Amino acid sequence: MNIIDRLTVIVALMVCLTTANDAYSADATTTAAACWDEGIEAYEARDYAKAVEAFEHIVTLGEASEDVYYNLAGAYFKLGQQNISSTLRPFAGGELGRAVLNYHRALRIDPAMEDARYNLDLAVDHTNDTEAVPDSFITQLWHSLRDMTGTNGWTVASIIMLAIALMLTIVYLLGQRIVLRKVTFFTALVLYIGFMLTTALAISSHMATTNDTRAVVICNDTTPVHASPDSASKIIRQPSQGVTLEVLRSHGEWSEILFADGEKGWIRTSQIENI
Amino acid sequence: MMRIRHLMLVAIALLSTVAAWAQVSFTVDAPALVALGNNFRVEFSVDAEPEKGSFEAPSFEGFDVLAGPSISTGHSIQFINGRQSASYNCTYTYVLMPQAAGNYTIGSAAIKVDGTSYSTKPLPIEVIVEKGTATGGKTQQTPDSRIAQDDILLRLKLSSTEAYKGEAIRASLVLYTRVSIDNIESLTMPPFDGFWSQQLEFENSPSREEYNGKIYETYKINELLLSPQQSGTIVIPEVQMDVRAQVIVQDNKRYDPFFGGRQVYHVTRNLKSAPVSIKVKEFPAGAPASFQGAVGSFSLTCDMPETELVANTSDRLELTITGNGNLKFITAPRLTLPESFEVYDTKVTDNIMITATGTSGSITYSYPFVARSAGEFTIEPLEFSYFDPTTGEYRTLATERFNISVEDDGSTPTATTTGGMVSYGSAMRQLDRDIRFIHTGTLPTKGAATILLTPLYWLLITLLVALFIVAYVALRKRMINSRNVVARRMKRADKVAVQRLRMAEKSMKELNRHSFYEEMLRAMWGYISDKFNIPVSNLTKETIREELYRRGVSSAIAEQFCEIISRSEEAQYAPSVDGDMNEVYTEAIEVISKIEEVVKR
Repeated sequence: MNIIDRLTVIVALMVCLTTANDAYSADATTTAAACWDEGIEAYEARDYAKAVEAFEHIVTLGEASEDVYYNLAGAYFKLGQQNISSTLRPFAGGELGRAVLNYHRALRIDPAMEDARYNLDLAVDHTNDTEAVPDSFITQLWHSLRDMTGTNGWTVASIIMLAIALMLTIVYLLGQRIVLRKVTFFTALVLYIGFMLTTALAISSHMATTNDTRAVVICNDTTPVHASPDSASKIIRQPSQGVTLEVLRSHGEWSEILFADGEKGWIRTSQIENI
Repeated sequence: MMRIRHLMLVAIALLSTVAAWAQVSFTVDAPALVALGNNFRVEFSVDAEPEKGSFEAPSFEGFDVLAGPSISTGHSIQFINGRQSASYNCTYTYVLMPQAAGNYTIGSAAIKVDGTSYSTKPLPIEVIVEKGTATGGKTQQTPDSRIAQDDILLRLKLSSTEAYKGEAIRASLVLYTRVSIDNIESLTMPPFDGFWSQQLEFENSPSREEYNGKIYETYKINELLLSPQQSGTIVIPEVQMDVRAQVIVQDNKRYDPFFGGRQVYHVTRNLKSAPVSIKVKEFPAGAPASFQGAVGSFSLTCDMPETELVANTSDRLELTITGNGNLKFITAPRLTLPESFEVYDTKVTDNIMITATGTSGSITYSYPFVARSAGEFTIEPLEFSYFDPTTGEYRTLATERFNISVEDDGSTPTATTTGGMVSYGSAMRQLDRDIRFIHTGTLPTKGAATILLTPLYWLLITLLVALFIVAYVALRKRMINSRNVVARRMKRADKVAVQRLRMAEKSMKELNRHSFYEEMLRAMWGYISDKFNIPVSNLTKETIREELYRRGVSSAIAEQFCEIISRSEEAQYAPSVDGDMNEVYTEAIEVISKIEEVVKR
């Protein structure tokens, strides 16, 4: 009984903490909701610059969900296409890079967001991004499985599996009839394996989202990638805005980056933005 | 034989005269341009026999008649492939010397042939003063130096040195010569970079022309039509040509009475024409949208399809551009048809001739199409724009707006347009892609923070495991407890049985048969019920036997046990039977103890 009492205290404390947090951000939430409505209204009226501003404000308020990033990316993309008439070329203000960046951010929160993935593919078609080195079949399978839901989805699934498995274990241990014991034994075994798999998926998903070292080129012109952190060194590539790179390390105002096809180079940190 | 031949000749002569009557021509031939101080010949020729003394020469005002008229007649008969033709020619030649520079006219000469008068046309002659005419005193010179540098010239003449892009320029390569030319040995045309050049057909007749104050015989060597393809000043480099000229030298020293004292030399000259530059002007600003580089003057005719069609039948729209200009560079005007019209490749047929003023003719574009669905449609006008270099303006020609009604043929559903997708019943085409619409609704709540590996997560896991342990321990304890009740009952079984047997013993001592057997039966049934945890209601002798057998009790003992029950039951309700209660009692104790031994082990 003593243990249960202690647990109750811990749960109560946590509940208290979360409600306190809610009270603190109540004001920000109402502002964000207003910005959200304003952004959608502006987008529908094709005032994409205003829509971008509204959605960006939600992000600065720290109230951004995957849908906010998705809408922000869409507004950037449309803004870039709309500006063709004045600048004679699309995405002159680096809007494509911003769109790709925000689709990546939306997908980082919710890897299962199909709309964002579709739009990202479409936006990437406008860039000169290189074809990635194809992953092995197993890795692809693992990634597609992992991206079916987010970290929390997998965590909840693993906990439910564990609970059921433990219940079945009790039935197995205390059961009298042979058939019942056989059935519960194997079901429990499968569920334990399922628990381990889902936990691994949750951890993998968690690692993918927290340790995301990817960055997107946001500079509006073709950005030189040098062989070494020195503007006098040879230019090895010129990625356009919206090209996704992996940041390996930084050195002064330079970052060492890795392209999807395995080529390494140095780029000015100001010209990229982390996902 | 002789007579026959004579007759034949007469017949031939007669025939030829008849042939000559049909067409009498009386012409004058003289150079149009002569230099002062040079004599020249004027020839009047008639191709039929004139009446004697009927020739009347003109006055030759401004000229001195040096010689003439000298009359020469020629008569020839030809047989070609068995056909005979005859010609007669009579020429009156005068040698004239101009008196002064200026424009003169040789008047009409007249002649009578068979009573009909003919006369020549007046012939204008220009007399000029040649510069630097060097005649005589050349006897001691080499044959090469006899031909002055400007005696043979090569010129590339252009119809215009200024043109718009695409406007045609005629370029003629002309050889100017004052000596007789034997042969053209080689001709190198330059690359006409920046032009589209086309070979022109030209007449190869020599003529005389004044150039730099001298009179030359001119021969057209080549003629091209050039269309500039780029703007700016384009220079056509020199044309090179090797010619062989003939020089005749009167050699007085070695005068041969038979061959004469003439020596003929051949001189080869390498000629270069001067490079010429052409200024190509860019089109002025304000070109219409449908302008695609057509230059010239054109007209447009359009052959429209039927105004009423049945769906799924093919028809065509034909557009013909006729005119003069760079027809070969015209691109087909764009035809925009309603979405449900299937358009096929445009067929182009042209009928173009290359003339000195540019390419002219017509181009016909045929736009075949099939109307797939029924309805009323409007075909937007086709526009064709061109640049007129003569006025320096753009002109736009357009066909008329055209209405077409397509009748349903009963097989195709009407086209339905939904969100950019046009479907024709069977297949749907993806027309274009765009990003998907933003997510609307109320502001979605920020997703919960990850619970993985947080205290909450560990709490849940621990809670689950704890719950499992608690539940397991609790349930197990309960099960063990319930198992112990059975065990106790089993343990108690013989005790209860002994108690009941004692009750029976008591009844036996009281000689109460009925109660003795009742207690006996109760003890026996109760013992089995408790011992093997079977409810009394489920017990029969059969189940007892089975149960005992399962527990390893020998069948003999089981049989004995059942026999005691049977005997007790019989004795209970048959008071007359004189059963030994003591015997039943001891037997029962014995059997129970035996079972007890076996089961306990």
